[in-house]
Amino acid sequence: MTFPTDENVIVGLHRADDAGVYKVTDEIALIQTVDFFTPIVDDPYWFGQIAAANALSDIYAMGGVPKTAMNLVGFPLKRMDIGILRKILEGGLDKMTEAGVVLVGGHSVEDNELKYGLSVTGFVHPDKVLTKGALVAGDRLILTKPLGTGIINTAIKGGLASAEIIEYVTRLMAGLNREAAEAMADHPVHACTDITGFGLLGHLAEMVVGSGLSAEIESADLPIIPQAVEYAAMGLIPGGAYKNREFRESMVAIADSVDRGIQDVLFDPQTSGGLLICIGADSADALISSLREKGVEDAAIIGKIISEPAETIHVI
Amino acid sequence: MKEVDARGLACPAPVLQTKAAIDEGVDFLNVVVDNEASKENVLRFLDTQGFDTSVDVEGGDFNISGKRSGVVPRSAVEAPSAHAEESKTMVMIATDRVGYGDDELGLKLMVNFIKTLEEMGSALWRLVFVNNGVKLAIEDSAVLDELKTYEADGLRILVCGTCLDHFNLLDRKQVGETTNMLDIVTAMQLADKVITI
Repeated sequence: MTFPTDENVIVGLHRADDAGVYKVTDEIALIQTVDFFTPIVDDPYWFGQIAAANALSDIYAMGGVPKTAMNLVGFPLKRMDIGILRKILEGGLDKMTEAGVVLVGGHSVEDNELKYGLSVTGFVHPDKVLTKGALVAGDRLILTKPLGTGIINTAIKGGLASAEIIEYVTRLMAGLNREAAEAMADHPVHACTDITGFGLLGHLAEMVVGSGLSAEIESADLPIIPQAVEYAAMGLIPGGAYKNREFRESMVAIADSVDRGIQDVLFDPQTSGGLLICIGADSADALISSLREKGVEDAAIIGKIISEPAETIHVI
Repeated sequence: MKEVDARGLACPAPVLQTKAAIDEGVDFLNVVVDNEASKENVLRFLDTQGFDTSVDVEGGDFNISGKRSGVVPRSAVEAPSAHAEESKTMVMIATDRVGYGDDELGLKLMVNFIKTLEEMGSALWRLVFVNNGVKLAIEDSAVLDELKTYEADGLRILVCGTCLDHFNLLDRKQVGETTNMLDIVTAMQLADKVITI
């Protein structure tokens, strides 16, 4: 396929990123993204919040500020009470309000399976767009949310997770990446992406491919939801984690000393995961301080970019 | 020998079906799955439950054979042998006091309750501490001696790890096994009677 383009496309399909970016003036570029999925929690209000936080995240990952959004709905009208849809939309709207985003429209279709998400538009200065690609050797990697939501969601599906952990992970997934993005704006960040379906190493691989550099992850420094490792050991691992591992196996080298459960977490598909930020070593500690000040408590330096041209991810 | 056909099922269903088979107390089982992810997950689960495993590949299917090894310490998933003939009572304690109102009285009643549990005899099968209840299993608990005696007499005491962690008490626990929600839920399923305080 050939994709038409023009000189104002800053980020398009030639090197896919978290969202598309189009320059409007020398001061303003438009960021556009769309994301929707089927329910991952039972409570419709929280599902609405999580779906909205997940869709908004791509704008934050590009270094932008989300401004307007439209609802996307697929709803099984014949089988499901319309009150459920109402609660989902309320959850989404509350999340948009929290993010300072205006809901300006939407579209719904009748569907056999419930789906909800948003199309989001945001702004960014054309010179401040954060892509996945601009890595520099020696950069530190910072992750802003703990890993393991896919494994915990599998345990929830199996009816094996406690009420406490369900509530914890629900709030985690519904949490905006806004504070992390705001903290990032004050520091010389080189690259950024958000962690979603491909898992930490899948998204890190997207950053590393084509960079001519490699990455090193310190497994002991990873923020991980504690129960995730325990559930992984019991085999409560989503199928997507195995697919992610298979897809990227050839460019990943994991030390034997890394616990098997932690290895699973590295490939665990995340819902509304945190930002993965790449920043110069001199600025990394300052960014961590800013993140903590903004309440992003779980943020941690998890590794670095190394000048090894093989484009490999080493986990030690 | 128990056969589990989990072909065509997505995670975590194959693990849950395997778990259901183990809960029946089988020592040998065969699980058939049709994808790599389910195979890995079932192997891991059987591993944590103390089963030796082997895998045969047939066409696109994986035939997993499991044999209880008996080497791994018995977990709550297994039916207990000692009291198998009697009715099994599980007592779950989610507080360190009995009832609401006066805390001092509540604590006194809890001490008395734990001591009096002895009267249940061998019907008392599991004692599970969750939430504030885990504070009864730590070093300055007023019933530590009683609990230790129960444990020495063969009663399995389970203490919620998430709760200990929440209260920062993981290294102060003095009695019982640190456990997870799966063990607790499984114990509930296996028990004939569950009493919650």
